Amino acid sequence: MSDELVIATNKLRNHALVTYVVLPFLFLTVILLGGLRVSGDDRAFIFLPPSLVTLVLAVLLLLLFVRGGLIEIRSLITSANPPLTNVAHIWMLLTLFFACAQAFNSVLPERGLLHWLFSFFFLWTLWNNQFSSFDARRLLRSLVVLFGTAFLLKHLLLASLYSSDGSWLKSLTGALVSSVTLGALDSPQFAPATGYISFFTLGLYLLGLMLISFSHQQPANTSIVDTL
Amino acid sequence: MQQRSIQIIGLVLSAVYATAIIWIYATEPRSFKEVATGAQVAAGTYQVDQEKFNAALTLFRREQFRAARDEWQRADSAQSDPKTQFYIAYSFYREGWGRVYYDQVLFKQGLEAINRAIALSPGPLTVADENLQMHSAAELKAELEQGTERTWGDVNPLKVLRTRK
Repeated sequence: MSDELVIATNKLRNHALVTYVVLPFLFLTVILLGGLRVSGDDRAFIFLPPSLVTLVLAVLLLLLFVRGGLIEIRSLITSANPPLTNVAHIWMLLTLFFACAQAFNSVLPERGLLHWLFSFFFLWTLWNNQFSSFDARRLLRSLVVLFGTAFLLKHLLLASLYSSDGSWLKSLTGALVSSVTLGALDSPQFAPATGYISFFTLGLYLLGLMLISFSHQQPANTSIVDTL
Repeated sequence: MQQRSIQIIGLVLSAVYATAIIWIYATEPRSFKEVATGAQVAAGTYQVDQEKFNAALTLFRREQFRAARDEWQRADSAQSDPKTQFYIAYSFYREGWGRVYYDQVLFKQGLEAINRAIALSPGPLTVADENLQMHSAAELKAELEQGTERTWGDVNPLKVLRTRK
């Protein structure tokens, strides 16, 4: 067997491993961890299924992936493919859809006015992006910024504001914000582990998106670093 | 051919993983220990801690009902053993029973426990314990239900002559 043939076979095998094994596992892990919170009181697990608004956001995001060329539906699901390949691609897209919903779930505040404010900003951004010109690379950068900002706001700023073990100034600010808004900006207290879980979840989610971009969009000699 | 086998392996493994995730979200375990217990229940290998069960039974016979319930709850942490749930309901009944009035809160908790026991049992649940006066779950449930209902019979002074079962 010539070297070129070996390289081509390895590429095909690696591509299949990434598309049919690694990506569904990454996205399923995001689905598992995206709704996981750790209670601040007794450190118990709390599992929050995706809310309706996160499903709507996920639909918009998938449309954006198709528009930006990150996902090529026509090549993934086509009558020219063997049925099993189509099924495997549909399964991968299904896991991606729910991973998107859970990634939003992970960075959205759980209740109150802040939940709706965050949801509105996500909706606004995604809706605006539907009419912008995007390529896969720019779309990924935009998503890193979008999720990164939401993560910082929720898990650093808000968590610190409502933290029970913070300084008196933080506690006072939190109490003031809560009382002035009649509890509309109230936020449940979670253990610090929740932030770490969310960080890991978003990392996995973005890694999955990069792998999709890498395996479907980029030429063979482009590295993940170039994609970023 | 190799790609086909990778596809099949990927689909099967990820379907198993997805089922596990759905199960976790449906059962909402609160700790890793509960995850492990839930998995044992799902796999059919779950067993009550017999030592704790017996300790609770001893406490129950000494009429230390709260302590007995605590032990039984530790013995059956997944709340999946009909016999243990029957005993928990019985302890609520005995503690809540009064010659003049029944403790409504305890009777309601007892009703929840006996309903759980009935739901868990594949057939009619009967416990052969000579120290008990009610041996079937149906009897205990009826007694607990009667205790939570308000009727004119409640003002009958002869009620004080009733005996605890």
